[in-house]
Amino acid sequence: MALQDLCNFQDVFQDSLTTERSSVAFGMKTDYMSNFCFRNSTTSFNFYIPVAGYLDESPIKFGQISAAQRSSAILSQDSFLASPSLPASLPVASSRPVPLPFPMSHGTTTLAFVFQGGAMAAADTRSSCSGLVACPASHKVLPIHSHLVGTTSGTSADCALWKRILARELRLYQLRHGQRLSTYGAAKLLSHMLHPFKGTELCVAATLCGWDGGEVDDGCHGRGGTENLSDQTATSQTTEVEKLADVTEEKVSLLKTRSSSSSQQHLSTKKTSVSGPRVVYVYSDGTRLQGTLFSVGSGSPYAYSILDQGVRWGLTVDEATSIAREAVYRATHRDAYSGNCVDIYHITSKGWTCRKREDLKEEYYREKERQRHEGRQRQDVTSSE
Amino acid sequence: MALFDVSGYKPYSELRRQIFPAGATHLANRPNHYSFGTKTQEFAVPLGVDPAGFLKSCNHDGGVCIDLNHGTTTLAFKFRHGVIVAVDSRASAGSYIDSKDANKVIEINSYLLGTMSGSAADCQYWERLLAKECRLYRLRNNHRISVAAASKLLCNMMLGYRGMGLSMGSMICGWDKQGPGLYYVDNNATRLSGRMFSTGCGNSYAYGVVDSGYKEDMTVEEAYELGRRGIAHATHRDAYSGGVVNMYHMREDGWIKVCQEDVSELIHRYRKGMF
Repeated sequence: MALQDLCNFQDVFQDSLTTERSSVAFGMKTDYMSNFCFRNSTTSFNFYIPVAGYLDESPIKFGQISAAQRSSAILSQDSFLASPSLPASLPVASSRPVPLPFPMSHGTTTLAFVFQGGAMAAADTRSSCSGLVACPASHKVLPIHSHLVGTTSGTSADCALWKRILARELRLYQLRHGQRLSTYGAAKLLSHMLHPFKGTELCVAATLCGWDGGEVDDGCHGRGGTENLSDQTATSQTTEVEKLADVTEEKVSLLKTRSSSSSQQHLSTKKTSVSGPRVVYVYSDGTRLQGTLFSVGSGSPYAYSILDQGVRWGLTVDEATSIAREAVYRATHRDAYSGNCVDIYHITSKGWTCRKREDLKEEYYREKERQRHEGRQRQDVTSSE
Repeated sequence: MALFDVSGYKPYSELRRQIFPAGATHLANRPNHYSFGTKTQEFAVPLGVDPAGFLKSCNHDGGVCIDLNHGTTTLAFKFRHGVIVAVDSRASAGSYIDSKDANKVIEINSYLLGTMSGSAADCQYWERLLAKECRLYRLRNNHRISVAAASKLLCNMMLGYRGMGLSMGSMICGWDKQGPGLYYVDNNATRLSGRMFSTGCGNSYAYGVVDSGYKEDMTVEEAYELGRRGIAHATHRDAYSGGVVNMYHMREDGWIKVCQEDVSELIHRYRKGMF
């Protein structure tokens, strides 16, 4: 997908459609956006819009389309151009939203904060669907690239899709400009991509946590210290060892090509960007908040109070991990829609690392055992006195 | 009020019944009343008015947005040395802060406390009524009412007016022959006995803190600190809680008021050196 776009490979079907879309450009005319050549990247936005007649059916019959509709639906899927169901303007915002077949609840606990050792992101692993645990082992913290991780809350399908779209756009930016987009830039990009869907049933509440690398080797005034190119090539090998994602090889080779190409640019572009960990909260209604600590989801109030107690800049990595774990554990204890296991990701200047997934049921029993043991100890002490 | 009843003084309604015997004053037979042992009815709903039906039309499905939120944070937990009760002190009317030093704990007697969350008027009235009933019980039976019985009385009062729009979330805390007692009573007539409760819209924040730091064999100072932290962190995140932390400690020989500390000072103390 990305390579196809980069090589300006024009699909035959896209020509007339893209010229219409470029004029709309999702309502943005900023210079920032024009660099992104949305014309070529609209392949992802050809969502299948159901024929209008389907929307009048009751939600209970979701998925069961009549024979007449089925044939017309197949037709519309094959040809993007000829289908009457695809409006020429913005894909979803102008058509009526498809009614949800059942009420979806947004139950989760995710959290993210920054400290001196980087950024920490943690989440539970329960996917619920109106009272049913649909998946006890889902991934709510999705890596986007080597130095950026996003926690997801809201509708899982929406979050997974938009994370992939964001990952693709960030990679394209990296290939075109020779450097990673900053966390705040990625958040702005995600927010602007979600903007056309404002007012629809789309629900994405993501916290992007990442490390912004310094681009200048003559002193970056950031908390994380300077990063120069030699470090980056060296760290590309170490990140290969540490990472658990499938796209490891691609990313490493990408880093190598980037470093070689940017070495020529390096002398000319003197960017004084501050490096360090960053956390941004993005919501599909347009909210975009920078901060140092966020927790999202139905279990977030329980996590917030524990994080408020313990999170400070000077934490060690172990302390930060234990606070994140404790916060998710307490939230899963009280909130019905959060539970099962906890995922913890730690993002440093060298990239992200993932702690082994831990079942919180064990933690609960361990705590009960500890309390019983302490109670017994105290009784022994008092009886012996 | 209590002496009035005990001395058998004839109230106005009884006199009226003697003067007008044909009047329909037998309210106790009506289906939407519950006489919980008092000689006089508290609230008589006029004939033909159906409060429950009216309220149903006032909720979200009817297009009206009248939400009765319990805008406060109160918490109470039992531990080895008694019961700790901690409440905030903000009274809000919608988005307006009515009072920054409202009193949300009612001292029923020297060994019973009741907390208030929900509608301030409802809480104050019904808990004062509960106080009257507890005093009457003591005078009639020559021993103190148990915490379970007191909470049951309040629960029955709520049951009599169920569905009619009362809003009250209260915790009855005390020390009786069975030891420390803690009950949660709701306007839906939910009555739960437990080791730890927190009510109000800030309750989830308080739950996180108290769950994390609770140990059954805490010292008294640790318990005070936990109660203070619970309310302070909840007021920090919840918009409808604030003011001061009023904390009480229920001991075997009665309750004592521990402290009344401003939450912003507490938060500054806890979060010193954060960022």
